[in-house]
Amino acid sequence: MLAYLIKRLLLGVVIVFAALLTVFCLLHLMPGDPVSIALGTRATPEIQAQYAEKMHLNDPLIIQFLIFAGQALTGDLGRDVFSNRAVSVMVFEQLPYTAILALSSITWAILVGIPLGCLSAIRPNSLLDRILGLISVGTIAIPSFLVSIWALLLFAITLRWLPVIGAGEIGDPLDQAAHLILPSFAVGLGWVGYIARLVRASMLEVMNENYVRAAWAFGLKSNTVIYRYALKVAVLPTITMIGIGFGHLLSGTVFAEIIFARPGIGKLIFDMVMSRNFPVVQGAVMVTAAMYVITTLVADLMVAWLDPRVRESL
Amino acid sequence: MKNFNEKRREFLQVASALGMGAALGGYSIQTNAEGHRVLNARSHLKLASLDPGYMVGGSEITIQWALMPRLANFTFEGGALGWAPSDFVSHLSQPDGTHIDYTLKPGLQWSNGYGELTSDDVKYSFERMLESEWKGDWSALDHVEVKDKYSGTLVLNKAFAPIWALALLSGTGTLVCKKATEEVGGKYTVDVPATCGPYVMDWIPKQKVTLTHNPLWTGPKPYFDKINYISIDAPEVAELAYEAGEVDCTKILAKTHVRWMKSPPPNTKLHVVGALQYMWMGMNVDHPKLKDIRVRQAIQHAVDIDSIIQGAYEGASIRSYGMVCPGLPGQRKDSSVDYNPEKAKALLSEAGVSGLSLVLKTLNVQERILAAQIIQANLGAVGISVKVIPLDSGPFWNMGQESKGDEWKDLQIWLMRFGGSPDPHSMAQWFVKDQVGIWNWERWSDPEYEDLYIKGQLETDPVKRNAIYVRMQEIMENTGAYVWIGHEPEVFAHRSNLAPMIAPSGEEDFSRFTAA
Repeated sequence: MLAYLIKRLLLGVVIVFAALLTVFCLLHLMPGDPVSIALGTRATPEIQAQYAEKMHLNDPLIIQFLIFAGQALTGDLGRDVFSNRAVSVMVFEQLPYTAILALSSITWAILVGIPLGCLSAIRPNSLLDRILGLISVGTIAIPSFLVSIWALLLFAITLRWLPVIGAGEIGDPLDQAAHLILPSFAVGLGWVGYIARLVRASMLEVMNENYVRAAWAFGLKSNTVIYRYALKVAVLPTITMIGIGFGHLLSGTVFAEIIFARPGIGKLIFDMVMSRNFPVVQGAVMVTAAMYVITTLVADLMVAWLDPRVRESL
Repeated sequence: MKNFNEKRREFLQVASALGMGAALGGYSIQTNAEGHRVLNARSHLKLASLDPGYMVGGSEITIQWALMPRLANFTFEGGALGWAPSDFVSHLSQPDGTHIDYTLKPGLQWSNGYGELTSDDVKYSFERMLESEWKGDWSALDHVEVKDKYSGTLVLNKAFAPIWALALLSGTGTLVCKKATEEVGGKYTVDVPATCGPYVMDWIPKQKVTLTHNPLWTGPKPYFDKINYISIDAPEVAELAYEAGEVDCTKILAKTHVRWMKSPPPNTKLHVVGALQYMWMGMNVDHPKLKDIRVRQAIQHAVDIDSIIQGAYEGASIRSYGMVCPGLPGQRKDSSVDYNPEKAKALLSEAGVSGLSLVLKTLNVQERILAAQIIQANLGAVGISVKVIPLDSGPFWNMGQESKGDEWKDLQIWLMRFGGSPDPHSMAQWFVKDQVGIWNWERWSDPEYEDLYIKGQLETDPVKRNAIYVRMQEIMENTGAYVWIGHEPEVFAHRSNLAPMIAPSGEEDFSRFTAA
């Protein structure tokens, strides 16, 4: 187990490095001069030169990358070229908002998606299964930004039940929770259908396993067979997917963050890409890539903990 | 007793406004549980620096005005920009073109124990601008002469009419505390070392700035006790937040302006604060296809501006006849170029040009792409085929600059929009000879324009200034390189019981917001 953990952590370092290299290359492949975009019309050649020097833009690309990677290894993600604030501070200010949004979205998606998947699997090809299938595919198909806008128009503008913008007052958990409802609904809706379909497929497979059929033959209660024997195994692939999904949401909530004017890491990266603020983009991507690696690792460890077969194979 | 009566009246005003708002189903400005007046305003808050010498502008200026001293306030009466002494001075005057006298009010305290606001702070603040990123706006300042602890004179190196609009009334006219700024190395970003204004701030990055009363402030108490300056990037989201009652004052899009003029949300007033942007279609006079002035003039006559204003901007943009924006000296009210496709065809025929094909480049913004398509149809009607290329901001802003490669050589026609400070000088500066290959992408120059450019800076007589800038725009139009399109207005929506004070360039002066 320890060897597996070390192996995965080393792999994680490689993944983070690869993600950084990719983002670095993409940033520098983007058309347009970052100096002109960042400083606009008022910048004199002198100011442009200062800015280019601050961003190491005159150095070869490999040197620029090595400078960043070298600093990152020592825990220094650099400084925002405009405000001179530490990138690590900026990123970790935003990260909790995205983490809580991703967590609440995935949590309600699990709470609804797993029972839906079970219901579908219990009576395959029944009317209920077909209706739930339609709903699941429908929720997957609707883009989350569209859900965000509809939810906002209905619940905030028309019905005036929920707040529209921001993350709520700091120190007021109820207000923060109220501000979380619409964004997490919009972000999690697609995952409801996805989890339901995944659980259904796994459950159908598990329900035909000998040990489940034996449980039925012993005359155990259906709830015991379904939830204690079948679901426990059927949910394992879902856990892996949830781990990946959570990691994905850490940078994939950008639409909800823009539409609901919420702070968050996705919006931070988006804003900084638009203003070609390379140090912040690189720092934020590095942190989200690391978080992604950690969440998938945690999911895999959970699977290993729940499934002795996996544990033994490590 | 008088205070009690005033408070009672204010309470009744607020209560009746709230009651009226509720009765109409709309929102009104709030009073919180403690009886404090609270304003929620939308900001496009990207705080990078609150140092007047190194800021980006926009919301940063709004915050500076709430926290820091300045000599003059803008006024905007009868559609014209003016100035008035601020709450920080007891005297401000300009006895001649090169001198501006001031006397600070005594007893105004900097925060963090940095003592009183003095004339040394004024000298330090303005003279450091000459070394700052905004030194262009202060190029006319020679030095500041300190007379005593509170008074002094700004001495200019030449008469410079735009000094008010460009410098003293803008964010760069903000005063900083000499001692505190020197202690942090002469420059700061978002941690202001000392403030001295009606408000103090609390910033939650990417969320909001909260402004509350400065306990050290001895000047007139601002109407609002607390201002939540909320960061909402997308303008459409800000409009929804306004409709949902979460902000009381927000800038709105031009197309929303048109819609809300017909059917505004309840309890809402719309306020056009200015129109300091100017949009045109430019032509590269050096390009072989456009070298003949008759071809350029044909294009000028072939474009139907009214169709663009209606089709692309739903009538929300103000038709333009030059670079100088509405409300400023030098704004042209008419043009010698009219929409005349027959004349355009005749000019092309006279030039011996047929089967001309051009490339029109624009930023990939919805309205501008629509405008480009209308131009494409207009020019097609006179026999000029046009290929429209929408571009991301990166490549777009590089295409006419010689320092960014050779693309300027292939540049033919393009849609461009600039914004400026509320003085015609700020608009005229981009078209001088020195700007060819930098921001003068049309690549023309004219000795008379250069001469008038200098005269416009020195002239303080409004009538003569007006004539100078009108003539400069005639020269521009006569090059055939410009098709003037429109000035997109800066529009704010706010609650009916709010009287905002917003600069023509869109920055809110919260200390001067009151109840209507």
